[in-house]
Amino acid sequence: MIRKLAFRNVKRMTKDYLVYFITMAVVSALMFSFNTLLFSKEIQNLFEMAGTMAIMTGLATFFIVLIVAWLINYMVHFILEKRSREFGIYLLAGMKKKEIAGLYLFENLLLGTGAFFVGMLLGFFLQQILLSIFYSMIQMNYHLHLEFSWNCIVMTAASYGGCYLLALLRCRKKFKKMNIRDLMDSQKENESISAKNENRKKIFFPLSVIFIILFGFFLFCYKEWDIGIAILFLFGLVITIYLFYVGISAWISCYVRKKGNAVYCGNTLLLLRQLSAKVRTLSFTMGTLTALFTLALLGSSAALMFNHFQNQILINKFPFDVQVYSSQTDEDFCKEIEVLSRETKINSVYCYNIYENGTNTVNTYLYTHLKEFGTNYQRTDGTPNQKKIDQNNAMVYYDYDTYMAVSDYNYLRKMLKLPQINLKDNEYMFHMKDRVFRQTGDFSDQICIENEGERLRCAGYYTESFSQDGHNGSDYILVVPDSIAQKMRPYYKEMVSDIKGKTPVNLQKKLDDIETGDENICSGSDSIVLFAAKNLVRDNLVPEVKYMLSSIIFPLFYIGLVFLCVSLTVLSVQQLCDSVKYKYRYRILFQIGYSRKEIEKIILQQLVSYYLCPVLMAFVISGMISIYMGARFNFYTGVYTSPLLYFLISASLFLGVYVIYFIITYIGFKQNIEQGYMAR
Amino acid sequence: MKDAIRICDVEKYYGNENHVTKAVDRVSFSVKTGEFVGVMGPSGSGKTTLLNLLSTIDHVTAGHIYYGETDITELEEEQLSEFRKKNLGFVFQEYNLLDTLTLEENIMLVMTLQCRSKKEIQTRCSELLHLLGIEEVKDQYPYQVSGGQKQRCACARAIANHPLLLLADEPTGALDSQAAQTLLETFENLNQQMQTTIFMVTHDAFSASYCDRILFLKDGKIFHELSRGNKERRDFLNAILDVLALTGGELSHDS
Repeated sequence: MIRKLAFRNVKRMTKDYLVYFITMAVVSALMFSFNTLLFSKEIQNLFEMAGTMAIMTGLATFFIVLIVAWLINYMVHFILEKRSREFGIYLLAGMKKKEIAGLYLFENLLLGTGAFFVGMLLGFFLQQILLSIFYSMIQMNYHLHLEFSWNCIVMTAASYGGCYLLALLRCRKKFKKMNIRDLMDSQKENESISAKNENRKKIFFPLSVIFIILFGFFLFCYKEWDIGIAILFLFGLVITIYLFYVGISAWISCYVRKKGNAVYCGNTLLLLRQLSAKVRTLSFTMGTLTALFTLALLGSSAALMFNHFQNQILINKFPFDVQVYSSQTDEDFCKEIEVLSRETKINSVYCYNIYENGTNTVNTYLYTHLKEFGTNYQRTDGTPNQKKIDQNNAMVYYDYDTYMAVSDYNYLRKMLKLPQINLKDNEYMFHMKDRVFRQTGDFSDQICIENEGERLRCAGYYTESFSQDGHNGSDYILVVPDSIAQKMRPYYKEMVSDIKGKTPVNLQKKLDDIETGDENICSGSDSIVLFAAKNLVRDNLVPEVKYMLSSIIFPLFYIGLVFLCVSLTVLSVQQLCDSVKYKYRYRILFQIGYSRKEIEKIILQQLVSYYLCPVLMAFVISGMISIYMGARFNFYTGVYTSPLLYFLISASLFLGVYVIYFIITYIGFKQNIEQGYMAR
Repeated sequence: MKDAIRICDVEKYYGNENHVTKAVDRVSFSVKTGEFVGVMGPSGSGKTTLLNLLSTIDHVTAGHIYYGETDITELEEEQLSEFRKKNLGFVFQEYNLLDTLTLEENIMLVMTLQCRSKKEIQTRCSELLHLLGIEEVKDQYPYQVSGGQKQRCACARAIANHPLLLLADEPTGALDSQAAQTLLETFENLNQQMQTTIFMVTHDAFSASYCDRILFLKDGKIFHELSRGNKERRDFLNAILDVLALTGGELSHDS
């Protein structure tokens, strides 16, 4: 009998809390498809760094399990409260508390299992979409096929089960504490409308607005952030998020009580009162939702940053098919060339020297002027700390300025299909990373490049992609006439090669396997995404780096999406249950003369205001942080997308999902209300 | 006095092909302007259905209801809402106040709906609060005041827009005898001093004794009608009790 009851209750629960059921199915589908990336044999075989994806997805899964457990816990308590009268009746009928708790637990597990199986079916579709996106991101062809792995299913079931375990552990306790009277009465509990200390509480509203403005000001104007200040602001931000809702509800309530002018216009009175009562009761939930929305938006903004890096910078990072570095100036690269001729069809091979003349004028200038280094290489009076620069512990730049002969330079330009350049005997020119040049501008008047005591004239700057992460210089190379280069000392040696046709998948590995001595490559001032290696095989490295970036991008989107769905479910279920609870409110409005259209308008306005409340706050906070993050990201990586765009794109993705949930809620809400007053 | 409302052969059926319930069965009567009419009857006799039909909340199956020259059975849904907003006021047994609004705001709400000016709303509101004696609790929420105060607030809300007809469904049903008496006196005052037309459904003989005329409903039909005329209220109450006694006292036990 109890089993029959449980099945019936689950059927009803699925209908009443469809949004919750769908979200749980979507969550398990997401879990399954992201875990596929982890367990796919094909991907594991393709990349050396398959472990990165495992770690990142594992980390994301950890947070997701926590947050989904929170959702389940929230829903279990929420439904328990809604059904408390029913449980009271079971108690009256003689069932034991233990049996009821068991029944409820069983029902929840049934619902969860149902959602899991629906989710798995959905997961197979989602898996194909995700794999297609993944393979197109790493520039490989993907043929649709079912990726089936028991490990993946077990992992998904374990994470999903973990969520339930975490959530349901606390549920039994709640039953133990309850008695019949509490159960029968708890459904009658209404939103607290008590207006205690409203006047005092309303101060939280301006205070939190001031804090947010202050936070924005500090974020963009204050330069000396350290961990202490960051933690302080983070702590303040969390408190502000929660107190904001206490403040705004008190503020609205006081405004209505003072009978501000807006109160007398149309439906404002009703809307403001409903909103303030709702926000007051749900201030903690609203705060949590804001925090989750903020994290979701930040996650997807960060993912977009890496995605833009991939599209703008990475494709130009390795301009040559193959490039090899050697610190031995007498290196002839015969072993490498042998591997190349064995594995590929070589179009051309070119070996050349990078020179030095014992000076480090440019290095000193860059160490002391690039914002990346701050004041690390300056003395307190702002002059260069030559001792520290000469020690060169960071190995960002080589010990000496790096030079290249114009004939070598022109040969390389020809390989890259770039126009040739001419240099006069007393001229030199710069080839720099675009990102660095954007920061320094023309600084030739600040430095002195000499040849036998005669100052050379700067003929200009070139900023095309030129493999300047330690190969053709780090960040920059000075190009000088051949006559001048020949008087310099060879510093290290480079080999570039143009390959005909497709590059073999394991060429990089074969080149790396060649025994050489210690190679210290100075990779330049790039940060966040840095790839410095002795051997560079473009067609091997680009997918590898893209895979590495994907292992950041995918988990970030994964977290963002799950957080968003969880928050929206809470918001949606809250509203739908209210619609059942507050049917009579709308019946009264109908009776006092509101037309169906007017009531629909009020429902829409009311839902929009509830839905906007946590989102607006999340938009402000995440907007500021993601614009700041984007600006820093662009600064360090050289991506030229506007920082605002990262936020706008992720906000529109976010709003897309938001609108879907909103529409579902609005339709459900309207139907529930109409059943109340339109019944004939 | 001219007829404010005319109910002509109104029928209301519920149910499906297999089972039809006649909630209101060919009922006809009229209410004059400024009249205080009561409807009594056992549960299931169709009192509330009749009130719902009069109040445009429910549609007739057949027949016509005229407010002046307007036949509300011919009106579209939007027109009905507009009609309800302008011409009707409601008082229910369960008060039906919005629990998120204070008493004053509950009264204000119906006036903001009619887009009146701030000053006008404030003046009318304080006038009503004073008239119904709930000035002191105007800033309280419904759950903070007594049933009687809630019902008087509902009354104030109902008459805020000077309705053509005040409809009351068991208004004293949830009140203690003292509060019920105060409310009925308020109704009487509204009726006599402000010429408000009142249509009240009740099963309580005491409440009914405040009316000018009582319609007795049974099985959806009017089976008796009693006018107060110049009788004292006490005599009218006795007359009502006599009618109830004739029906076997059925009416007084049907709450």
